[in-house]
Amino acid sequence: MAVSALEAASVPPIVARARQAARASRFAPKRLLGLLPLLALLVAWQLATWAEVYPPVLLPSPERVAMAFVVDYHDILFNALASVTRVIVGVSIAFCVAVPAGLMIGRYRTLDMLSDWTIQIFRSVPPISLIPMALLFFGIGDKPAIVLIFLAALWPLLINTIFGVRGIERTLIKVARAARASEWLIFRDIILPAAMPAVFTGLRLGIGGGWLTVVTAEMIAVKSGLGYMILNAQLTFRSELIVAGIVIIGAIGLLADQGIRALRTHVCRWQEGLTAAAE
Amino acid sequence: MTGFIECRNVGKTYDSASGAVEALRGINLDCAPGEFVCLLGLSGCGKSTLLQIIAGLESASDGAVVIGGHELDGPSPLTSVVFQDHGLFPWMTVRKNVAFNMKAAGVKPAERAARADELLEMTGLTAFADRYPHELSGGMRQRVGIARALTTRPKALLMDEPFGALDAQTRGHLQEELLRIWESQRTTVLFVTHGIDEAVFLADRIVVFSPRPGRISAVVDVDLPRPRDPESAGFMALSRSLRHKLVPDLQGAPLG
Repeated sequence: MAVSALEAASVPPIVARARQAARASRFAPKRLLGLLPLLALLVAWQLATWAEVYPPVLLPSPERVAMAFVVDYHDILFNALASVTRVIVGVSIAFCVAVPAGLMIGRYRTLDMLSDWTIQIFRSVPPISLIPMALLFFGIGDKPAIVLIFLAALWPLLINTIFGVRGIERTLIKVARAARASEWLIFRDIILPAAMPAVFTGLRLGIGGGWLTVVTAEMIAVKSGLGYMILNAQLTFRSELIVAGIVIIGAIGLLADQGIRALRTHVCRWQEGLTAAAE
Repeated sequence: MTGFIECRNVGKTYDSASGAVEALRGINLDCAPGEFVCLLGLSGCGKSTLLQIIAGLESASDGAVVIGGHELDGPSPLTSVVFQDHGLFPWMTVRKNVAFNMKAAGVKPAERAARADELLEMTGLTAFADRYPHELSGGMRQRVGIARALTTRPKALLMDEPFGALDAQTRGHLQEELLRIWESQRTTVLFVTHGIDEAVFLADRIVVFSPRPGRISAVVDVDLPRPRDPESAGFMALSRSLRHKLVPDLQGAPLG
């Protein structure tokens, strides 16, 4: 069967164009626009310290914060590593539980009926509110922090995975059934890839939630990590270390999000040109 | 009965919020091996429902379907389905889409690859093997759907308005290609359509459906020699008579 010139010519050119645009925009100068608000903030901060809006003990200057990164780099690195490790462990466990569970709940109506109310109740509980209980059960240390991160990441991952499975075109399941595909093959080759974009949305939200939770949990439940470091800096009147901690928390948050986005683009490259791009 | 596909008194009733809806009643149909049969009817006459039942994707409320001598209980390994909206997996390349039915059937990877290449060649898709479906035109997507259906060497192709969403030119092109494939493979084809000309162009036999409840209202043998010319007197006469068979259902509304 020969593809006619007519048919070949009707390959949507918009696809090719969207691809070029996506590739170009990743490195285009436009991307640097994102630095603008940050620069403005830095300038405002510098001006505020020059004008001494607040005494230097409370509001350190940018140079002093920059110095803190040099002087206390060991402390900052150690605590950042502690926080990041906890989040990675907690979110990984949540991922391993939530994705298979979400795929099953999304596929089987009975499981959905069984779990829906429970999920809706428990996802409304902020993990932070469970700190006292986690302390009672697990004492001070890594365990309560990881449990809280696990809970913070579990619900967005679970709910988004279920949502992803629900969005599958019905015809695709029919195609698989007509071909007598096993249930295992349907899960692996159809339901999982179809749900993947939503799983990544869940992962982004989960890591975000986990990161928020770890900093809070470390202020109470652990003796290391960026949350602990900030609280300790407050007790010793080291405001520049507090701000340095905040900066590093934000930077890691940005880095993690960018990393997940890049991973998503790679894993879900079939989506390129399928979804609407912003003008 | 000696057909390859036999429907014996098939009926289908759906339960809906507003009560039971009878979609099909008393369908008796017999497709000989290698025969090209079109199920022709207006929307909502149950022709697609019958195809889904024969594909094993829905169960009949009444009667039975027999394929190759075995009473149907779920999708048969002897049939393949081509869907109206082509049903390609957007995350698989053309090559992987074509190989999927073989993967589902447990064919070894090396054999899968060889057979997929063979079918890609046959459908003129070799150059597009590593593209994703959304990068193809509608006509090419449906070629992929047909290639995928043929990989497992089915005895019958079940086609659910496969060319319904295509423009007239592409549709004509694919109809000719389908006939060529059918003539070389000698598979039975059961083809659902609402296009009278499409049915006359393709079929050995046309089964006309009428709605509420869906049932067979006429069976017409098409004796025109192949390849058929839509401009010929015989073609037009048959189209006209089929139009009259469908019109009572339309209650006088004009047919396009």
